[in-house]
Amino acid sequence: MSWETVIGLETHVQLSTKTKLFSRASTAFGASPNTNVNLIDCGLPGVLPSVNKEAFYKAIRFGMAVNAQINQTSIFDRKNYFYADLPKGYQITQMDLPIVLGGSIDIQLEESVKTINITRAHLEEDAGKSIHDEYDGFSAIDLNRAGTPLLEIVSEPEISNAKEAVAYMKAMHQLVTYLDVSDGNMAQGSLRCDANVSIRKKGVKELGTRTEIKNINSFKFIEKAINFEIKRQIKILEDGEKVTQETRLYDSSKDETRPMRSKEFANDYRYFPEPDLLPVIISDQEIQKIRDEFPELPKEKEARYQRELGLSEYDSQIISSSKSMADFFDASVEKTKNYPLLSNWLIGEISAYLNKEQIEIHESKLTADKVAMLINRIDDQTISGKIGKSIFEEMCLSGCTPDEIIESQGLKQISDDGAIEEIIMTVINENPSQVEAYLGGKDKLFGFFVGQVMKLTEGKANPKAVNSILKEKLK
Amino acid sequence: MDQETVSTICYLARLEIDKNKSKKIIQDLETIIELIGSLQTIDTSSIDPLYSPLEMTALTHEDIENSDNKKEKFLENAALSNEDYFLVPRVVE
Repeated sequence: MSWETVIGLETHVQLSTKTKLFSRASTAFGASPNTNVNLIDCGLPGVLPSVNKEAFYKAIRFGMAVNAQINQTSIFDRKNYFYADLPKGYQITQMDLPIVLGGSIDIQLEESVKTINITRAHLEEDAGKSIHDEYDGFSAIDLNRAGTPLLEIVSEPEISNAKEAVAYMKAMHQLVTYLDVSDGNMAQGSLRCDANVSIRKKGVKELGTRTEIKNINSFKFIEKAINFEIKRQIKILEDGEKVTQETRLYDSSKDETRPMRSKEFANDYRYFPEPDLLPVIISDQEIQKIRDEFPELPKEKEARYQRELGLSEYDSQIISSSKSMADFFDASVEKTKNYPLLSNWLIGEISAYLNKEQIEIHESKLTADKVAMLINRIDDQTISGKIGKSIFEEMCLSGCTPDEIIESQGLKQISDDGAIEEIIMTVINENPSQVEAYLGGKDKLFGFFVGQVMKLTEGKANPKAVNSILKEKLK
Repeated sequence: MDQETVSTICYLARLEIDKNKSKKIIQDLETIIELIGSLQTIDTSSIDPLYSPLEMTALTHEDIENSDNKKEKFLENAALSNEDYFLVPRVVE
């Protein structure tokens, strides 16, 4: 029997606003428990929410980027359910008139590009955090996250396997970070998704019964959770049984999904318009302002790097694929003229270092100023590329500037022809037999002489000058 | 409207009702639903939904932090808390 998988994703993007969706409490991550909470966030009676327009602007920017319809009149609704980390007993969300309707996003597969349609994207508030295992018999509630603005992006069920789901999430991550809609920090929960997975016989039109896997927060887990769920459902169907529609959780330590117990009973959210909030109207002027200030997207950056800076297609693609890398490159380009060398370093040494340390460039000690200075010193031949690498290692460790390291370690390249000639003559005089062999036709010995010169100068001699003077002297 | 529906509604709203009064409650709810039913007979297909009777727009705030945190008071007024958290009967996931 041949089976087909159908997946739809609900992505929750935490918007990078400074304040909450309905209050002016801070949204900063990692504050001590229950300090980013005010009267509105903890749901005290008699308070009224106000709307954070910045969250709307970010949502609209996303909508424009995916060519969606923007609803300039937008309504909030109440979604009613009881849970300890939801202080009001309802979540304020958008049901009837979401801010973003429709649109699509392209995802990069191994050898092709696939377009996934977006159903809608709406604004809603996040809940607080429950800690279940620290206090015996109790769950502890931290409301710092309660009221943080989220954009929930719902895809059409057009994703066919776990790999495509990962590609979709990567495309989302790239887009929301580029748009400065979210910091995209998955470990801190800024980007997470629920996956609706169902299986049907190949060729059958109707969708199979789906399960929803909640709150997956890494690319790796998305792939594993979905693959586990696909196998589980196929086994059920092949045994001639039926899949139960339910909400499941992915447990990464056991690499399995299992049913969630808490929200199973009576899933009836009784949505109705939020009476505490009037409609939000976005004016044409506001829309125009968002359009005017629209950031440069990866594809545009890629084209500009090729057109204006003469980078190769490959280099442009790699640098523009990550927002933090592209920002770093853009800042460095202001300070150096050797763009190809700069891009080589970013893609080579610098990326290798960041990969090894598992950090983003803005988390390292590297700055655009320092890296541009390093490129300039190699470019103006103060140092060789090889010495550049050891300076780079030092920069990563100490955070010193290249000039400070060159100065303190005496690494300045010897480019003075007279000095180099003197050293070359010493090498020639000390190795008469090798000179004889070389002149007798053993060309390979040239490398030996270069090596001797480098040894005597501790690698500081300008290799170009060494080559040309050596050739002259060994005629 | 039957006993089971009333029980579900009560569970959703976390309300407990006097079993002896449930017959009366079923009758009252039926009256209310009938009333709504008569409203629903009117053809409103060409009328935009009215989300609020006030012809105004939502109150907005600038994205500038102004925390008015009263952590100690919030926790003090909770049924159960420790120095950092609200405590509730354990919710099992």
